[in-house]
Amino acid sequence: MSQAELPDLDPVIHAQARLRVVSSLSTLREADSITFPRLQEILKMTAGNLSVHLRKLEDAGYVEVTKTHHGRTPATLVRLTRRGRLAFEDYTAALRALLNPPQEES
Amino acid sequence: MAPTDDDLPPADPAESLRLIERERAETELSITPDPRGFLWPWGFAWVLGFGVYFLRYGPGDRVFVDLPDWLPLILLLALFLAAGIFTGWFGARISRSISGPSTRQGAMYGITWSVAYTGMAVVLSTTNGLLSDAHANMLWAGAMVAVTGVMHMAGGAIWNDRGLFALGIWTSVVNVVGIFAGFGWHALILAVLGGGGMLLAGTLQWLRLRRLASRGLR
Repeated sequence: MSQAELPDLDPVIHAQARLRVVSSLSTLREADSITFPRLQEILKMTAGNLSVHLRKLEDAGYVEVTKTHHGRTPATLVRLTRRGRLAFEDYTAALRALLNPPQEES
Repeated sequence: MAPTDDDLPPADPAESLRLIERERAETELSITPDPRGFLWPWGFAWVLGFGVYFLRYGPGDRVFVDLPDWLPLILLLALFLAAGIFTGWFGARISRSISGPSTRQGAMYGITWSVAYTGMAVVLSTTNGLLSDAHANMLWAGAMVAVTGVMHMAGGAIWNDRGLFALGIWTSVVNVVGIFAGFGWHALILAVLGGGGMLLAGTLQWLRLRRLASRGLR
């Protein structure tokens, strides 16, 4: 297999901060979402920084950010979309392929 | 490691994979509720509740400690209620940060517990005054434990959790063994093997969670 055939790494995920966000969200079960402050606490990022990266992921269609209410308090919920989950799986598969290139013989 | 701009890619693929593993382990540990919070309250309730039962209604009508005859059942019901309220509150805390299908599932499971106990209590209360004290006590205790065992097994099925399912089977078997052993022994067996089993299960699950987390966080 030539170098050119190696999979490209998704540029949206291939940035430390966004990779961390997506990795963290991938732990949730499909269709489950987490509140923004909780995600921020887990990732130890500032609210502004996390917002910036979430917007980029949202633009790519990888995460969905919903504003809702828990009782009377407003809450922002974040979840990985199906597309985001697929992109994350492709990304990890690509990393593994880079580390252990597939054998010549199939 | 020098501070890096977090918009830059990780240094190399191996570093990326390590980052993914660490972040997943960190999140898993942070969103998974402590299993002790669900099992220890019940474990303590059983050890204490059925322990007092045994002391008052021992094998062969033996009375080890001369407590009022109404006390053991009231205490047991109060301890079960307290454990139920605590675990309900503990479970509901999760839904403050996570929402979606899994919190709905958790809420439905919680409601099922209270409906099952209420239904059982209403049915059993119709036997009030018809049975001997010892018999009535064993009927109540046996039914409560049977419902608990089945609920643990159902929980195991819902979350594909072998540990919880095994605890349910253990509880159900211990209950039947205790019933066959007879009055008095039933309470002792439930206190030691049932309550002790829950305390042990909670501890084992907690240790497993910590081990899984430390493997990923290394």
